[in-house]
Amino acid sequence: MTPETHVAPTRPEPHRPTATGEMYPQAIDLDVVRAAHKAQYEQREEIIADGNVAAAIAALQMWRAVIFPGFPITPSTKWIETVASRIAGDAANRKRVKLLEAEHAVADYMVGAAASCRDLIVATATSSVGLDHMTETTRSLGASGLGNVMIVDVYRATANFPLCIEGDPSDTLAHRDDGFIQVCARGKQQIYDTMLQMPCLGMHPDVLTPTMPGYYGIKDSHRSGRLLVEADRDVHAWQDEWIVPCPLPGLINGDTAFGNCVTSRHFQGFKWSQKERLARVLDLLPEIGRSFEKKFGRPGLAYYDEVGFPEDGRVDVAVVGMGPDFGTFEFLRPAFADSRSVSVAGVAMRLLTPFPRAALRDRLAGAKVVLVVNQAHHSGRGHLTLDVVDALSDLDQPPVVVSAFAGMGGANVSEETWEAMLDHARLALAGHRLPPYALFHEGVRT
Amino acid sequence: MKLLDPADLLATSVLELRGDGKAGGGLVLAFQSLASLVQREGHHVQEWPFFSSARRGANIRSFLRLSHRPIEKACEVSRPAISVLMDEVAAQAIDFALGVPEGGTFVINTRHTPEECARHYHLSGRVVTVPGDEVGTKYLRHPIGNVSVYVACARAIGGFKDEAIVESFLAALERRHVPDSVLARNREALKATAEFIREGVFDENKGHERARPGFTGYGTLPIGGQTGLRLSRTNKTANFAPSGFRLRFADPSDACTGCTHCVTNCPEGIIRWQPDAERGMKVLGADVSQFCKLCGECVAVCPEHLFTQAAFEEHWEEEEAPAP
Repeated sequence: MTPETHVAPTRPEPHRPTATGEMYPQAIDLDVVRAAHKAQYEQREEIIADGNVAAAIAALQMWRAVIFPGFPITPSTKWIETVASRIAGDAANRKRVKLLEAEHAVADYMVGAAASCRDLIVATATSSVGLDHMTETTRSLGASGLGNVMIVDVYRATANFPLCIEGDPSDTLAHRDDGFIQVCARGKQQIYDTMLQMPCLGMHPDVLTPTMPGYYGIKDSHRSGRLLVEADRDVHAWQDEWIVPCPLPGLINGDTAFGNCVTSRHFQGFKWSQKERLARVLDLLPEIGRSFEKKFGRPGLAYYDEVGFPEDGRVDVAVVGMGPDFGTFEFLRPAFADSRSVSVAGVAMRLLTPFPRAALRDRLAGAKVVLVVNQAHHSGRGHLTLDVVDALSDLDQPPVVVSAFAGMGGANVSEETWEAMLDHARLALAGHRLPPYALFHEGVRT
Repeated sequence: MKLLDPADLLATSVLELRGDGKAGGGLVLAFQSLASLVQREGHHVQEWPFFSSARRGANIRSFLRLSHRPIEKACEVSRPAISVLMDEVAAQAIDFALGVPEGGTFVINTRHTPEECARHYHLSGRVVTVPGDEVGTKYLRHPIGNVSVYVACARAIGGFKDEAIVESFLAALERRHVPDSVLARNREALKATAEFIREGVFDENKGHERARPGFTGYGTLPIGGQTGLRLSRTNKTANFAPSGFRLRFADPSDACTGCTHCVTNCPEGIIRWQPDAERGMKVLGADVSQFCKLCGECVAVCPEHLFTQAAFEEHWEEEEAPAP
């Protein structure tokens, strides 16, 4: 089948009524869409790319993703620029970028596009207040059942006074209850790989929940390095194993999720169903991750990355963090442990929503002290800290939780700052009572 | 003084570079091209910029790590073996040599000699200079020094074939869909740069304190200023001038009419004036040390043409001139 077939007249099959709406199975011929895909890569290649380019390439490689609505905002702008320039640079590429008036318009556009065909993926990227501007719609999208929506969040400090374009995860952490599946990636390869896996998770018939993969602005979005890209056909073959035709019409329960006022009884039942679909992610995510690793030979989706845990899980200090700064901790961990005669391990969170509390509890149960490093503004002990404390609350003798802030607004988290935080945690190891949280910068507790 | 060998660091551990310049000055492209060059040799790279104020002319800093093995570390480079100064105006606000270990390398885009730079900036180590803006003006019709600085950095690291150095930069431009005519001019500039590179080893940092200052607080955010927590010693947004220029006020014939146009038009409120019995007020100058971006408002509105752009290097020469 050639792309030209796309223009041939087709006669849609008569619509088919279902309990939740009507379906028009032949209105969009997916075989034609698939055949019209223009490959980015014919074979596996090693290139140099930054995080935005890595994410853009992955989006373009998915045959189901044919239209990309967007509105630029630093530091996510290069994502839509890359998508647009690659499409514009190849006359045979029939995908389209739709530049809209603002982020709210983008989110609304995604609703229509995604609901028109739930077997196609509609992706965009945004940051910070861009995500905030979408909020009215993202909260509806989270309940819509449109798992084919993907909003790439390039993390940037949310507070706009003072304005800061650097990356911290306060935007994504402020949207924990929008209803999206939120996964944090770090490093070009993980960003690329995560993008390819997210639709498999969101579009799974048990889940049907939009996804929000994300990565740190500037620190990852603008950091270049080696990237292994897969051949488009291999990406398609693997995704097709996971993504099956959606059994439902446009939106769950017709348009109920987008505007109709319902009784509180119905609302509660609807929300519980939404919560159960989200919880199913905890089962499926590791499966998809294992499948990805089997296909491509690299680690796939996981609740978290971990480093330094012995077989029995017993360590003096376990660190919980997220994002690229965790790499600096990984780098200095062995030398720090040797110099202080303590055992140190750590996890970098990947799945943020739903939070994998049981798995994290089991991982941290053998630690004496857990140091949680928060990088987003929070009025209390920190988003991550509260989740970790909750996860550990099931234990009879939970570890002492030490809460730290560092790197807000993308501030540098230097080796000296990591050492200062770890030394702070060692005080708890020695039996000192520490304040609920502390801020670290340039190697000192401030 | 034992010099650090960049090629040896690349082969055995991690070679770290840090660059300072102005947004729009090509520093990021130069580092991206260096990353591509090194990656072609099979090494691992990590390249990223830090933007201060996100606008053309603001100070930026860029980082590059190169290694034969995967790079875990993600923090900013604070002890670079090679420090690059793309724009000397940037050195007004930051100390580009801060943290460079003894025997490190300094690559500077300047018309000055390595010896002059070593003395002016108090450098100990290997000093490499290239008049990048002049090369850019000659071959690219624009005073942009990143082509030459890139070549100087590649040669300072060592071990690359000349052809690879040229092609890596051009490949980076091609990815940006640069027209063929511009590519051709860049090729000429790349090839011509080698003859302009000068270097020497100096020890001019004796007795000059360059220890990293300890944390002394976050400071306050001044009106009209944006955060400069890491890049500016003065915590001000200054120097939004075209490369090599700054604002100058001169009124030798007492021509100021007191019209106040400059005062009311200056977006940063930096015009200095005093009450004057005849004219109402009299302009004394402008405080260019803080917020002046050389936006040109005062230059444009002054009826007596008392404000001008002045070459920055003239300032340097004045500063170092012996007292009469």
